[in-house]
Amino acid sequence: MISNLEYRINFIVDALIQPCITTVVEIVLWMAIFRGAGTDMIGGFTREYYLAYALWATFVARISTSWLYEFRMIEEVEQGTINSLLVRPLSFYEYYLSQMLGYKFVTTIFSLWIPIVVGIYLDLPVHLDRLPIIFLLIGYYLFLVHSMSFLISTFAFYLNKVNYFTSTKNLALWLLTGELFPIDLMPEAWRDFVLSLPFVSGVYLPIGYLTGRIGFGVFIQGFQTVTLGLIIVNVMGYLLWAQGLKKYSGTGA
Amino acid sequence: MMNSLAIEAQGLSRNYQTYKKAEGITSSIQGFWKREYIYKQALKPTDLQVPRGQIVGLVGANGAGKTTLLKLLSGLIAPTGGTAHVLGHAPWKREAIFLKRISLLLGQKNQLWWDISPLDSYALLTRIYDLDVIEARKKVMELATLLRCEHVLDVQLRRLSLGERMKMEIIGSLLHSPDILFLDEPTIGLDIVAQSTIRDFLIRYVKSKGPTVILTSHYMDDIAQLADRLLLMSQGSLMYDGTVEEFAAQADRNLQLLVRFEKDFLTEERIGLDFVLPAGQREFTFSVTPKDLAVLMSRLPQLGEIVDLRTEEMDFEGVIRKFLEKESRVL
Repeated sequence: MISNLEYRINFIVDALIQPCITTVVEIVLWMAIFRGAGTDMIGGFTREYYLAYALWATFVARISTSWLYEFRMIEEVEQGTINSLLVRPLSFYEYYLSQMLGYKFVTTIFSLWIPIVVGIYLDLPVHLDRLPIIFLLIGYYLFLVHSMSFLISTFAFYLNKVNYFTSTKNLALWLLTGELFPIDLMPEAWRDFVLSLPFVSGVYLPIGYLTGRIGFGVFIQGFQTVTLGLIIVNVMGYLLWAQGLKKYSGTGA
Repeated sequence: MMNSLAIEAQGLSRNYQTYKKAEGITSSIQGFWKREYIYKQALKPTDLQVPRGQIVGLVGANGAGKTTLLKLLSGLIAPTGGTAHVLGHAPWKREAIFLKRISLLLGQKNQLWWDISPLDSYALLTRIYDLDVIEARKKVMELATLLRCEHVLDVQLRRLSLGERMKMEIIGSLLHSPDILFLDEPTIGLDIVAQSTIRDFLIRYVKSKGPTVILTSHYMDDIAQLADRLLLMSQGSLMYDGTVEEFAAQADRNLQLLVRFEKDFLTEERIGLDFVLPAGQREFTFSVTPKDLAVLMSRLPQLGEIVDLRTEEMDFEGVIRKFLEKESRVL
């Protein structure tokens, strides 16, 4: 957490300026979509619902997406800087989990006011009383996000360059979390499939519940799918980690 | 009963696999479906026993296998064959109880946190190693005083000079009072003053605390001044195991003969098979045994008028350099 606050300008840009800019972009985009469509409703929801979704989805996606720490974890294995962690009584998984959670906590605290203020100013349909429970799901989902990062970083024991896995995964998650657009706009078969995946807990379920697009019954399923995802991803991660360490040549030492 | 051996290895070996990469785009494309793999035995089956409290200097040319041995013993990598017990543990299992008793210091590699001050890093290490906060803080101040670096403890690591950073790394690696200290090139890249400060500190520290130390260094002064025992490695094998003094004494050519003639030689001259005096020079230096010296002393005056003739005993660094030069030629 101390490291995150060390570079002041970098932190201000990341925690304040960037969320402000993306918020403006998303709102302008959805306003343009409604103006272009010449309608007041899309998929059964009004413009205000979409603006509320876009506003909060942008905010939440920044929390539930991790590429910075994933790149660092990959680099640790690729460059061999992981050596200094391997010889300490420290878990690589937990070490980066604590760093990521610290970073997410600080940036969330500093930028949370943006969607709240904008939502109140534009009078958007948001159930602010549901914030605690949606943060609970997002926090839980972060463990899955981190476990996926851990899994991808273990690929670096076997392959020389694995950064493209991160880019590909994040591109897929852009769609599968519901950050790009609400999942309910997908064709029914696709929507059911995507809803059965744990990734919707990253954006669609918390924001759908916060903005009233989905009910509590659908929202709560997120905890189940994330749990299943955590089991699968962590078993794979553990196996690849254990096997990878046998192959590891202590690069750079 | 406590085992008197800190390190015990039998047949410990490690192979690496890599592949050939020929020049050009064609070979890069071919690499998609066909790769020619190369297997390198970085450490050949090695037996080693190190008693507790011993300071072992590990010396060898680049690629000799010393870092591989260090990495195996510290648990960074797993062996391909053989076994090893370090403080009674298989190091590559990296059990927390084992990791709390060792320390690996890698020269020119940052193991503390780059963006925060050493004091913050030490606070983090105090948690990681489950140390008493007050005792750990006291130890930091004590070590910093010995290393004369108290004034930079609260400056971010990235703002420190290489020498200061190394001192901070040393404090970090000693904070939990390790029973075994793996030092990989602790003075590399440092100026002479910093090298000497760190060397003196390490001498004082190991004498007072008595940890087992495995030290690799390209600076032979480090080895000569610190090590009780010398291990020389070449091509993945241990070539010599004994004391520094014994090695220097048994080295076959530990004398240097310096001779200066009045004029340059017009043609190349030879004395026996080993000694060549090239044309166009008048000053020559030979590494010789006492027996060679007798031969040279009788032959040299016949080749021209000598204006200066001296013999010097080769220092430890010179002996090691000769050994490494000979081994590197074999590689």
